[in-house]
Parts: sequence; C-alpha cells; structure tokens
Amino acid sequence: MSNLNINPQDSAVTDLDTAFKPDCAQMRQTPVQAEAGQAPRAESPLYHADLASMAAKGPLEGGVQLQELSLLGHLVIRGSLDNPAFVDGFAQVMGFALPGKLASVEQGDASVRWIAPDEWLLVVPGNEAFELEGRLRELMAGHFSIVNVSGGQTILQLSGPDAVKVLKKSTGYDLHDRNFPVGKVVTTTFAKTQAVIRRLDAQQWELVIRRSFADYVWLWLQDASAEYGLIVRG
Amino acid sequence: MTSSNHVQPNRLQNGGRIDRSQPVTFEYNNKTYPGFVGDTLASAMLANGIDVVGRSFKYSRPRGIIAAGADEPNAVLQLGATEATQVPNVRATQQELFHGLVAKSTNGWPSTDNDLMSYVGKVGGRMMPPGFYYKTFMYPQSLWDTYEGFIRKAAGLGRSPVENDPDIYDQINHHCDVMVVGAGPAGLSAALAAARTGARVILADEQAEFGGMLLHSDELIDGQPAQQWVSRVVGELVGLENVTLLPRSTVNGYHDHNFLTIHERRTDHLGDLAPKGQVRQRMHRVRAAWVVLASGAIERPLVYANNDVPGCMLASAVSTYIKRYAVVPGNQLVLMTTNDQGYQAALDWHDAGRKVVAIVDTRAEPTGACVLEAQRRGIELIKGSAVIEAKGSKRVNGVSVAAINASGERVTGNIRSLFCDTLASAGGWSPAVHLSCHTGSRPEWREDVQAFVPGKTVQKQLTAGAINGSYRLSACLEEGVRQGVLAAANAGFGQQSDDIVEIPSVDGEVEQTAPMALFHVPHTKPTSRAPKQFVDYQTDVTAAGIELATREGFESIEHVKRYTAMGFGTDQGKLGNINGMAIAAKSMNKSIPETGTTIFRPNYTPITFGAIAGRNCGELFDPKRYSAMHRWHVENGAKFEDVGQWKRPWYFPKPGESMQDALNRECLATRESVGILDASTLGKIDIQGKDAREFLGRVYTNAWAKLGVGKCRYGLMCGEDGMVFDDGVTACLAENHFVMTTTTGGAARVLEWLELYHQTEWPELEVYFNTVTDQWSTLTISGPNSRKLLSELTDDIDLSGDNFKFMDWREGTVAGVPARVFRISFTGELSFEVNVQSNYGMQVWEKVFEAGKKYNLTPYGTETMHILRAEKGFIIAGQDTDGSVTPMDLGMGWCVANNKPFSYIGKRGMAREDCVKPNRKQLVGLKTKDPQKVIPEGSQAVADPNQPIPMTMLGHVTSSYYSACLGHSIAMGFVRGGLDKMGESVYYPQADGSVIEAEICSPIFLDPKGERQNV
Repeated sequence: MSNLNINPQDSAVTDLDTAFKPDCAQMRQTPVQAEAGQAPRAESPLYHADLASMAAKGPLEGGVQLQELSLLGHLVIRGSLDNPAFVDGFAQVMGFALPGKLASVEQGDASVRWIAPDEWLLVVPGNEAFELEGRLRELMAGHFSIVNVSGGQTILQLSGPDAVKVLKKSTGYDLHDRNFPVGKVVTTTFAKTQAVIRRLDAQQWELVIRRSFADYVWLWLQDASAEYGLIVRG
Repeated sequence: MTSSNHVQPNRLQNGGRIDRSQPVTFEYNNKTYPGFVGDTLASAMLANGIDVVGRSFKYSRPRGIIAAGADEPNAVLQLGATEATQVPNVRATQQELFHGLVAKSTNGWPSTDNDLMSYVGKVGGRMMPPGFYYKTFMYPQSLWDTYEGFIRKAAGLGRSPVENDPDIYDQINHHCDVMVVGAGPAGLSAALAAARTGARVILADEQAEFGGMLLHSDELIDGQPAQQWVSRVVGELVGLENVTLLPRSTVNGYHDHNFLTIHERRTDHLGDLAPKGQVRQRMHRVRAAWVVLASGAIERPLVYANNDVPGCMLASAVSTYIKRYAVVPGNQLVLMTTNDQGYQAALDWHDAGRKVVAIVDTRAEPTGACVLEAQRRGIELIKGSAVIEAKGSKRVNGVSVAAINASGERVTGNIRSLFCDTLASAGGWSPAVHLSCHTGSRPEWREDVQAFVPGKTVQKQLTAGAINGSYRLSACLEEGVRQGVLAAANAGFGQQSDDIVEIPSVDGEVEQTAPMALFHVPHTKPTSRAPKQFVDYQTDVTAAGIELATREGFESIEHVKRYTAMGFGTDQGKLGNINGMAIAAKSMNKSIPETGTTIFRPNYTPITFGAIAGRNCGELFDPKRYSAMHRWHVENGAKFEDVGQWKRPWYFPKPGESMQDALNRECLATRESVGILDASTLGKIDIQGKDAREFLGRVYTNAWAKLGVGKCRYGLMCGEDGMVFDDGVTACLAENHFVMTTTTGGAARVLEWLELYHQTEWPELEVYFNTVTDQWSTLTISGPNSRKLLSELTDDIDLSGDNFKFMDWREGTVAGVPARVFRISFTGELSFEVNVQSNYGMQVWEKVFEAGKKYNLTPYGTETMHILRAEKGFIIAGQDTDGSVTPMDLGMGWCVANNKPFSYIGKRGMAREDCVKPNRKQLVGLKTKDPQKVIPEGSQAVADPNQPIPMTMLGHVTSSYYSACLGHSIAMGFVRGGLDKMGESVYYPQADGSVIEAEICSPIFLDPKGERQNV
C-alpha cells in the first residue's frame, strides 16, 4: 500500500523524529535448526503441486519454463526516503542503497524491489531473514516498519522465448523492452489476482505472488502456457 | 458425397483468389454442396445458386445474400456440426469455407423455404406497422408470456448450444505506438510508414487476407497490379519485429484512452473444432498511443419497391464475388447506379461472360469514363431513370424501370419492364465511422461526398482513406502514408517527413464525375401504398415505416430509430441507417445535417461469449484461495463453504452422517473436550508506528489507549454513519506494534479503509499497515481440554490460568515451531489461537492432531463455529449486521467509548436523531416455543400472526441453528424495541402458512457469566 504524500501540509508535518526508535515485536518465525532430520517440515505455497515430480515427468521442450523459488525470506520494508536514518540504515546493513521508483537491486543472495514510494520488498535466504531484520531495526531509526512475510508469499520464475506471451495474457502492463527493461519491478494485476513482476533477463521474469492465491496462479500459468509447452523445473 | 466435381452453376472457370486445388464440401440446411478453400461461405452458397438464406424478422419474406462483408444483414447463419460447437450469428460473408462446414439458416419457422410466418407476413403485413410490438403486445400484460414466446420463436437469429463449448478462447494484452485499423490501401500504407520509423505497430483487418478492395481491383500501383503492391508491403511488414499483423481480426471496440478490443478468429477457418491445443478465438486488448482508422466505406443499397427479393445485391458485392471468388451470382443483370463506381459491377459481369440487361443510371446525363466503357461493351444504358420495383418472390425475375425527375423525387415516365435475375444497386458510399463513434465522436455530414465522415475526436486518433470520403485509390494511398508518418511522429518516432515512404503512384486513374444524392427511389404510388421499400433488412424497417414514425411525431432521429427499430439488428444497420436518416429528414422537411445521425456502439460485429469470457471460466472463473492446511481438510472429508474467495471447511461429516449429525457431534466434542478450527482466513493486518495506538482509537469505537503489551481486545469498526461494518480482536505486540484481525470477507476492505483514512485524513500519524493474512496460519483450539492438549506441544509457554489470562497473548514454541498464541475465544470455551508462519501451518496442524487423539480432538468447520458463537450470542459482522445497525442496536454499547480525546469514526453518525430514537430494531435472542423448530434465517417477525396482509414487520431472524449442546434451537434476530421486550412472544409466519412462535430472550444462551472461558 502506498502512502502518498498528497497533503501539502504533510511535508511540513514531516518534522521527522529520526532519533525515535519504534518499539516493535520482532519475532523469529522459523524454527532454529534442530539436529538433522528433526526440523519441522516447511511447506511452500506450491508444495501441494509437487513441482519436483512434475519436473521429472514433464516435457523437456517448450517455450516456457517455470520454477518456484520456495521458502525464501521476505521482508516488507516501509519508510520514507526523507528519513536519512532509514535510508542510511538500510545501506549500512545491505551494502547498497534502496532502489528508486520501479527499480530493483540484486547483490549476492539478496535482492530488493521497489514496491511503492514508501515500500520495498527485500528477499534473502530463508534462514537469514530474522537476523537481517534485527540488524536493520538496530541501524534504522525514525518512522519505519519491517514485516516478515516469508510465509505469506512465494516467488515464481518464468523464462523462455514464450514467457512474455504468457505474461501478456495475464497482465495489462506493457512488457516491451522499452517500457520494461531488465531490473524493472512492477506490482500490478495478474489474471484476477496480483503479482510483483520483475524482469531478470531478456527472457526471464520473476513473479512474487501471495500464498493463498498461489494455486490459482499456478493453474492459470499452466493454462496460459499450454500452447507453447511448459517445462517445470523442480 | 464427393461433390467437389458437382457443378457449381455460378462458378467461373478461371480467376478469383480461391484455391482450386483444394476442393471442399459443406452442408447447408442438410444438403451438401461443393466449394473451394478461399471461398467464404457466402461465395460458395452463391456459386451453388442458393438464393434464399433466411426469412425476414417481421414479415417473414425470403431473403438472399446482399453484401460481401460485415455489412451483410440477411445471411446470418447458425454454424456447427455438433451440439457443442453451435455458433449463432455468423455472417456467411465473413465465414471462410472449410471442409465439413455445417450451416443452417436461422430465421425460418418451420423452415426457410416454407415458412408459416410468411402467411402472417403477407396477410398481417399491414397490421404490423412500426411500434407494433409496443402498441399491441404490451396489453393485456397477462398475455405477455404468450406473446413473448411467439415473438422470440419467430424472430430468432440463432440459438446457443446447450452443451459446453470444447474450444479454448483467450485474451491477450498489447501496447503499441500506432494501431492501424483496416488493411486496405490506406491502412497498409499507414502501417508501413509508421513501421519504418521503428514505432510498434499493430495492423488488424477483419479479412483473411490483407489488401481490402485491392484484392479485386484492376488498378495499377507503381506500374504493377495492385495485388503485387499488397504482397510487397505485407512482405516487408512481416519481416519487421516491431510489427504485429492480425488478419481475421475485427477491431470491434474503440474505448476511452485509445483502448481497443480486437476479436481474432484463429481457427474458425480450419474446422468445426479448433485443432488440438490451439486457441479458437482470441480477444486482443490493445492500448495504443495513436490510432489510425482506415476502416474504409460501406456501399449503400438503393431503396426501391421489393428491394429485398433474393437477387437484389450491392453492386460492389457483385464485383467482389466475380473478381475475388470467381462467382457470378446470376445470369442476367440489371444495374442501377447513382455514381460512376457502380458501373464496375456491370463491366465485371459482362467480362465474366454473362448478360448485362441494362445499366440504369439515375443521373440525367452521366458523362464519366465508365459510360464509354459500358458503351464499348455494348451494354444498354438507360439514363435519368430508376428501377422503381423488383419482381419475384424467392428470386428476382424482372424489374420495372421508369424515368425520374432530376431530384429523384418523382416518377416522370412510363414503366418499362425488363427481365433479369439479378439487380445490383449502387447508391454511393457510407464511410465506416463506427469505431470513431464508439469514442463518443459524432459524425459530420459532408455535402461534397454525400456522406457522414468522422467528426471531432477527443482520442489520439487519425483517419485515412475511404473513411474520410476519399474514394480514389491515389488519395487512399497518400492519406495512408501521411497519417502513418504523423501517427508515428506523434508517438515520438521518426521525423514528420514524406521521404520515409514514397507515396505510391496510381496509373491511369480516371476522374469520377459527380454522383446523385438519392436515398429513396420514387414509385408511381405513394410510399405508404407502394410495395415495401426496405431500408433496414434485418429489422424489416421500410421507407413507409419511417415516414409513419415522423408523422406520428417522432422528430429526433434517435426516437425514430427506437420506434422503428432501424439499426437495432446485429448488423447495427450498416446498410440502411444513412438512407433511413435521409428519408426521415426529407419527411420532416429538414436537411440531413439538421436531422443528424444515430451513432454506433461497440461491438462492430457480434462477438462470441467465449471470446469475451476468455480463460476466466471453469476452474479459472474466479481465484480460489486456500489455507496452508487445505490438503488436510480435503483428505479428511471436509465439505467446503465459499467465504469471499476462500474455500473454508464447512463441516467434516463422517461416513453416514447427515450435516446436522456432523454439526451436533462437532459442537458437543468441542464443548465436552476439545475441537479445532482452521481460522487462517481471518484478515490480519500488521500495524507499526509511533501513532499505531492512536490510529486504532480513531477507527475502533472502543478505547485503545491503555491496552498493555501482551494483551488483546475486541473492537467494533463503524462507518461514518455509525453503522457497524467489521469487528475483530487486535493484539498489542509491542508499544508501537499491533496485529489486527478482521472478518474473512472484510480483510481487504478494512485494509483499504485504514489506508484511506491514513492517506486522506490523518497523514500526520506515523503508522504503517501491512497485510499478514497469508503470513500466518491460525489454529483455534477450543474446549475444556484445550489447555491440556496445548501443554503437550509447548514447553516454553506458561499456560496456567493465572499467568496466561483470557485476552492475553504469548510468544513461544508450539510443536517445535515459533508461535504467537492468543487466548481469545469465539466459542465461549477455554480457547487458544495458535499462529505460526504459514509454511509450518500444516506441520503444526498434524502435530496437534497426533497429540489430540486421546482428547478426541475434533476438527470443526464454519457451521459449527457459527453455532458455538451463537450459543454465546457473539455476532458475525455481515450476518447479524447489514450496514444498518449501530453498536447500540446490537446491545453492544459497552464497546463504545465516547470519552476518547480524539473522536472516532462513526461517533457523530450514531448520535443522529434517527439512530438514538426509541423503538429501533435491536438484536435479541429468540427461543422457539417448540424447542425442535429452527426458524429459517430471514424470517420476518410480527406481533400478531393473524393480522391481515400487509402485516406489520418488527424485524427478522439473522442467525438460527439447532444447538445440540442446549438440546433446543437458538436464534438471534432483530425486533423493534426488542431489548425492552424480554419474555414477550413474537411470531414468524412462514411461506407454507405455518407460524413459528418464539420468546424474546438474551442472545447469550450458554454460560452467561463466562465461566467456561475464564478457567
């Protein structure tokens, strides 16, 4: 949700108390790794689709490839670019700055997507989210929020020469090179749900989708790519 | 039948663009006929000499093919070899022929050739003037059902299949810089010019081949046959990656913001069913920076007596059939024309080796080059005359020709009869302004071309070619190039210069002489007495009918249209509208511009429902949302209930159990031991920020200032009007951190509500909202044994009643997974809501069941949840509220704090005079006199069951169940002044005449002191 500064008085009001440290309840949400084999089973939003078996059985040729990047750490970061304690805190922890409008940054295992003028999505390996949130909270100040949504969404990668056609069937946003260069991120409608779409490469795209809609999106993508041939990667 | 060798009586030996190496057969009205790939269904029907293709709507007159394109009003057929593949509303002129095509005529009852209605038509014709249906069938109303069935049966233009369509229809989105509509000479040159700038270009044309009229033209472009120019341009466009070519694609809608909808028929030309895996039809949804309309023009037929007899055709259509399909649709032609272009049909007919009886030119002294051409071929030319009447019934067998005066208003000479079987008429051209009209633009009349052309537009739209009234090929090509260059430049591509595409030259183009404006051919009798002169074939509107409408006082052309039904057919009056307006204008002594024109709406031609629905059907009709434990519910036999888009377990029947059996068992097990509910679907909103607490105080009716960390509180949310719209429990996670729960169906609405108020009213409050509905799986463990059960799964949460009180929450580990546990209760029992990250929801759920076996842990669904909460008198927002009840009406005044320093939403609303007046409807409990009787929800309360209808309604039942725990039925409902009527009886009359009596009581049926949950 964007928090547009549409009230002209707002900037006057934004007498940022950058020293304020919000008192929030950060919580470790994944089990601390127990002895091997003892860890509770985690099920990604598309666990039930058993993509690994589909990949083993499925066709090896086709114009579209699909893969779920499951069980990653997803942190929704909210804050104002006018708040240096927020902006600098992020840069200090991550080693790179928050991306600007509709842009993304990827470095090592971490990637961050601009979602809205006051919102970013940071994705890291699943077992790093808690510690990372802690360090961000430590170094950030003023008005900001961090929400761990690792269980609430998942990532699909769609690639291949016909991937863009599948996307064109699914969203009204303009996906042409001129409008959607590599690295761009857009949150938009996707069939009858929504997705955060990021272009990873000329023929490679990433969708961040909500958990409860994952099955619908999975059915939709299978259907939309049927005429081109869908290769599932486990 | 191998009938490809059968004689096609009207097929020429040579010529045309059909593929003679691919003979096919098709079926029309249960007879098999031969044709070729490259034919349309219409050209194949004409080749086989099929005259009658349907019966007219009102008078049931035999009708034949008139046109060769989208303007065809009569040959609207039903296609489909099987029940599942039935397609209505197919214009034979636009359907490509394929082997095995099965077509039927639609509007003939009982059959096209022998039509019962024709007797009604002949006898009753005079009894069915315009407005007939309004005047006759409206009264008496009781007979409407009878009338309607008769009218529908008689008027049908096809039927829907009763089986599911096996084919795939889908939709795709596009963006482009220049969208070119129509691939005739203007469209092709526009597309090429724009494409060469590097702009993204989409070119769409409704025909299978690009080229438009050039496909049957003899003209030379750049010294070559026009068809070669077409091939060259199309060849270049195909090779450009910035160009998308859409043949067989009708641009059917031109909407706001240069958004266009295009209906592509991808496999309709291949067979009855799409080849396996292929999409039959695709709707392209195009957002264009600039649009060039090059949609051409439609020839106007002339309006004369009996102008609907099969064999009466458009002159241009005759040429098209001869040149493009090698079909001469008759033997002896009479051509009537008001202009030079019309002659071409007669020249083509003659050159095909068949007889042209005469050319009847309505102009007194035609002088164009065409006259010489006709004379050179020895064709008789009758000048200053008109065909005033056609003869014949199922086929033209002659015409009456007479001299007319210069203005075309009266017959001045004697009638001369000619024998012929085909009468072509050429009344000039009407630019296809339809798409321009879709955008709200009103067409403007141009006297010099005697036509309406696109008027002022608010869209980024250009026009080129015949749509502008530019009918000369050289003008079409030039406008195409210029507008293509301009559109691209406007979109930011190329320089606006001429050298990007050289304007092709047209050799030996002849100057056209002035046409005559003739919209209604006179007859010796007055219009009202003359044989019918049809203006709109599909809706059977005649010149006399239009004159009658104006005499009856309909002056606005829009009223004339509605009164006569002119233009209301599936063809939207493409042929007849201009003639009709001109006739109305003349009848009212007004000019055409004074009278104006009706405009067109999407769609240009009918679209299948399949293409409109796309893939949003079947499993994909609407998203189905699932919790992380859904698989378990399915495996354990749950019946599901739709709650918004969520699939929630409704109840879990065991083999042999009825629904009520299952509910009784689930309720008792929960109250006696322990039950579990998947509550993951409840909306959850994470709220962080310095002002989070203040914000809560403003959106909830109750107080939040003092809620401590580790505590939860129930809250009511009202609209500005003071009416309850959602409720839920919010927990204080930390001083600046809360998590709010909402109803399942209200989650998105509540989040939007919070954002709306934050962004528009209180942007100064430092708070962020994020949905975490999908993030947490919620397991509600409820019942006297819930503590024991949970204690087996956690070793780091002190569950004792002293240290973990009702409305507290604790963080810890459940079944090895980090969890937030809320001690809140919607059942009135000791109850814990365990929230774990959703990836672990299933794992924890399974572990709870492993440990719960010895407590007879029972899964329950939404229905048992409803019963258990109703036993406690807890409301469900949306079931017990309907946007018209205040907290006080619900007896929940305790949940309203009017002493908060800042106001809250709804405070003023609920203090309105009407909201505080006595005797409002209030929520109460209802105990039936017969304890086994469950009052149907929605039943209306009355004080006196014997009062005559209309009875005085006191309220209605909102929730009603059988309570196994209490051994009797329970209900909640609204009763006027109910809170002051405890112990009184109210009555609920039922549809079957019975009456259920109930006593008004407290809605808290069970454990009014709350002892069960406070243990």
